[in-house]
Amino acid sequence: MIGGRQPLRGRKLGDRRVRVERPHAAYFRWSGKGRMTAKAAASAPTTGSGRAFAAIRRFFLGRPLMSEEELGERLSKKKALAIFSSDAISSSAYATEEILRVLVLGGVAALTLGLHVSIAIAVLLVAVAISYRQVCLAYPTGGGSYSVSKRNFGRNVSLIAASALLIDYVMTVAVSTTSAVEQITSAIPALHDERILIGVAAIALITIGNLRGLREAGNIFAIPTYLFVGSSLLMIAVGTYRIVVGGEGGGYPDAVVEEALREAGRTTAEGVTILLLIRAFAAGAVALTGTEAIATGVPAFQPPESKNAATTLAAMAVLLGVLFIGITFLAVNFGITHLEFPEKQTVISQVSRTVYGDNTVPFYLFQAFTALLLFLAANTSFNAFPRLLAILAGDSHMPRQFGLRGDRLAFSYGIIALAVVAATLIVVFNGETHLLIPLYAVGVFIDFTISQAGMIRHWLRERPPGWQRRLAINAFGCTLTAIVAVVVTAAKAPASLIVLVLIPLLVLLMLGIRRQYEGQKDELHVREDVVFAGPQREQRAVVPVNGINRAVVQAVNFARTIAPDVRAVYVTEDAEEGEELRRRWERQLPGVPLVIVESPFRAIVEPFVAYLDVLAETWPPDREAPVTIVVLPEYVAKRWWDRVLYNQTARRLKAAIVGREHTVIADVPYRRDH
Amino acid sequence: MEVRDGPAQARTERDPTSHHLAEAPDHTVSETNPPVFRLAVVALAGGPGDARIVRLVSEVAKPIHAEVVAVHVVEVGWSLPLDADIAGRSEEVQQVLDAAEGVAESSKVRIEPVLLQARDVGAALVDEATERDADLLVLGLPYRKRFGGDFAIGRTIPYVLKNAPCAVWVVREPIPEDQA
Repeated sequence: MIGGRQPLRGRKLGDRRVRVERPHAAYFRWSGKGRMTAKAAASAPTTGSGRAFAAIRRFFLGRPLMSEEELGERLSKKKALAIFSSDAISSSAYATEEILRVLVLGGVAALTLGLHVSIAIAVLLVAVAISYRQVCLAYPTGGGSYSVSKRNFGRNVSLIAASALLIDYVMTVAVSTTSAVEQITSAIPALHDERILIGVAAIALITIGNLRGLREAGNIFAIPTYLFVGSSLLMIAVGTYRIVVGGEGGGYPDAVVEEALREAGRTTAEGVTILLLIRAFAAGAVALTGTEAIATGVPAFQPPESKNAATTLAAMAVLLGVLFIGITFLAVNFGITHLEFPEKQTVISQVSRTVYGDNTVPFYLFQAFTALLLFLAANTSFNAFPRLLAILAGDSHMPRQFGLRGDRLAFSYGIIALAVVAATLIVVFNGETHLLIPLYAVGVFIDFTISQAGMIRHWLRERPPGWQRRLAINAFGCTLTAIVAVVVTAAKAPASLIVLVLIPLLVLLMLGIRRQYEGQKDELHVREDVVFAGPQREQRAVVPVNGINRAVVQAVNFARTIAPDVRAVYVTEDAEEGEELRRRWERQLPGVPLVIVESPFRAIVEPFVAYLDVLAETWPPDREAPVTIVVLPEYVAKRWWDRVLYNQTARRLKAAIVGREHTVIADVPYRRDH
Repeated sequence: MEVRDGPAQARTERDPTSHHLAEAPDHTVSETNPPVFRLAVVALAGGPGDARIVRLVSEVAKPIHAEVVAVHVVEVGWSLPLDADIAGRSEEVQQVLDAAEGVAESSKVRIEPVLLQARDVGAALVDEATERDADLLVLGLPYRKRFGGDFAIGRTIPYVLKNAPCAVWVVREPIPEDQA
């Protein structure tokens, strides 16, 4: 083959053809006039260590996906329901217990109101769900309350919403993981000392699952969610049949209430008061956490994104409402409240024991599904948190890396950031759920309130058909969630106040990041009407040398190609050695002046920089300063471990002059025949 | 040698969806069924019909794991040496093969793109198919709307039909609705 063209003979005499080599084809594809598209080979690492790292990543995360495969990674409604709803649905496993823990202080009369409280919360759920359905339809780019508040209230309020959400997503991961670990350590007490390790390992597993991409995460996480939902619905159906048709269940026996009161450190019930009911309502409202996740992740849905997200949100709200009210109905009718002694028993486990029977296979299966779902509740945050960060990054409120998609089109930086922060929280709080709980659910109600207030403003501005009804729903929901936000914060104080401090700090951080990006943008801005002519500034090249060798000769020759004024600078502590070099230099590299800088204090970098200063000052002040190109000869080591032996001075020189005015650094690597 | 009038004839005269041929492999060369072919050389003319024939061949090749070689021949006039640096530097020429590769990839089939310079397109195609021991050569037959509309059979197709050592498919472009 000559010059990429291979002459070939044909079958017939005189038939000839030339096969033309296409060197670009392995790495690029011409996809339009002047436009090339990189193939996978162009993105593949070229070094040995890079290839090894890529192989490890491929093993754990799968092959890298092309951007155009993003649509294939989108979620169907069934998978999205599992991915975005595991947090909300899992809260039905403990929301009833949170209500009964408060109501038990009011005695039997208060406990019988448990169902009413859960229905009230379900009404709130309906209001919040309707509001977020509207958000999905009105703001298809995702971001949930952040997008709503940004559009309707401006930047500062939207950042409050975003901060509250970010905090709550982190807390969801930390709390649900520690809570699930507690389920395991309750079953196997020997593992109690390893709870932090188990928690961190669980987060690592969920992280890997999410880094593999949305669709695979959906495949991994959908089954436990649906198993829990199916077995819970069966339990509610069987239990309700036994209560309604079989006449079983007779409310709370006095002994159970007395025992629960004793465990709460009380001797008598305080009776049914409005305050008690509000506290119970606030405690049970934890069931709503995670409702906003779907509105944040609208772009993850298959087209039509908004419609599918809205439908999924409705399905999630219905499921959550049915599970929550159903479990509370069974608990209240079977006279169940939480038990701490002789062994801790959650309300939901007692309900399933009553319905499915003690020590039966269905009972253990249900418990296993519940524990698994609690583990996976963290997964909702792993989808919503990185998306919110990506949206914030798009608005310059977060580092731009959070907007980049990884090999599998997942927002890898956001996923890793969430995993690191949540794992750190688990370590700092010693893997104890009860230490983390006070920080939980505060942010989400602030967020709900801002979102619904934003929707009120939206309806007032847009006024589409039927806006009055929608406005009324949002106003009702906004009032309720605002009350719940205050009650939850007050009930969980003083720990909850940490969140109230963190939110403004995060807002300030995000405003600071934006200011930084905006400043850089202004600095680099180029007016559209300006036409740039070719360069007019003079250029000169300065080559720091350590003698005459192939690397130096190559650098000097390169310098001669880019500037008419080239000089070499040799910094030495030995004047004689310098003069010896000069004699050789003038013989071997004529036409390139060599400046010898004698350095009696043995420094190399500083005298060179001082020489550049002098050079700059000697330039005539009436002429525009020239561009000084410092050409660094560098030797490329064969192996990575050899690199430490070479170019250390060049590295220091580079560090000393990088960013210097009117100065450009050019590395000229000398590569011996590897 | 066998001649096919393309998938349009296999279905209806006006049906432009040639890619459905893959769903009915028994409509293709019958004496080698299955597999229909082991290695096919697809001639690319650089026109809008290229995508159609690449998609057609890809979809037939995919289930039988046949190899597909896409060949684009740049004809070099006698005023220039045959090995003149013409095709290698031309973005448009490279794009013909790159576009075909993209179409095949969307059907999850890998093709080998080959760029040739020759005095005669037909001879180069036949020689390339012979050298590669191909058992199928596929060409597109464009429809020219001018002068009342007709198929521009040119001289390449007759040459290939006469000289190719393997089966030949000529995939004609669908006739536009207004001229049918």
